[in-house]
Amino acid sequence: MSEERETRIFMISPNSMTTPDQLVREIHAMGKGVTAKETCYGTLVEGPRALVREVLATVRGKHPYDIYSKVRAYPTGDPRRCRAQHGTRPGYSQLEAEWELLPLIQHGLICSDKGEPFEVPKEKDKLPAEEFKKICEAIR
Amino acid sequence: MKIFIDPPNSLILFDLVERFGHEPLGAMAPIQDRIDKIELDMPPMNVTLDDVVKGLKYAGIEVPSGIRGRLALWGPLIDIADAAITMSEPPFNFGCVGCERSNEMVRYLIRRRGIPHLIIGYPEDGDEAKAVVGQIKEFLEGLK
Repeated sequence: MSEERETRIFMISPNSMTTPDQLVREIHAMGKGVTAKETCYGTLVEGPRALVREVLATVRGKHPYDIYSKVRAYPTGDPRRCRAQHGTRPGYSQLEAEWELLPLIQHGLICSDKGEPFEVPKEKDKLPAEEFKKICEAIR
Repeated sequence: MKIFIDPPNSLILFDLVERFGHEPLGAMAPIQDRIDKIELDMPPMNVTLDDVVKGLKYAGIEVPSGIRGRLALWGPLIDIADAAITMSEPPFNFGCVGCERSNEMVRYLIRRRGIPHLIIGYPEDGDEAKAVVGQIKEFLEGLK
């Protein structure tokens, strides 16, 4: 991966009180010289890798359970992806689906940090054919 | 350590692996390489025609080009990974996780390499989420 540029998605959990506007202002106020672009789900941050990592560390320190981040391959505003220029967003459905799960992950992280024990859920068994047949016959 | 994440563009896995002090290997790095070094001339596709040929290392010629294209991106990551985490049966089937045959090939390639592999499901409630995060944490701490 390029050492020059890193673009990161900062996604705000849906149950957070932080808004994308507040997050962008916070990042601008850090004065790191990175580009921050407000989006519907949070912000995109782009700049030299070391600076973007510094921003990430600060944001994680301030919002440990509210904001989640991953690298984005395309630069901010790239015409192949930017919605303003009718770019396609093939990965957005997954991002949206994972965004809905972030409150659960937040709960998991808080419990994990408290050291709460957890139980591994049992694998669901396959439905036996006879039982399935009964269900089919019952609603016929 | 380098951890291959599956789905390779998962925000949740990428974030958690990074939080627990490891380097996540996702689809974004090889795509960024292609964007920065060579021009992708067929948007919205993230691969070039050469990639589909390179995918032959990981899947046979009879395998559809879509699978080979995906494996051209993900295969080299599995080759250099020290461990892998799979979140199976995602509740959505769009984008790069939309092809179950590719997902099966990825699981096969991971098993063939014999690296530590954690398979978990997407959480549906609080208890499951606690278990998912706990299992990932334990797995990653056990690698050190």
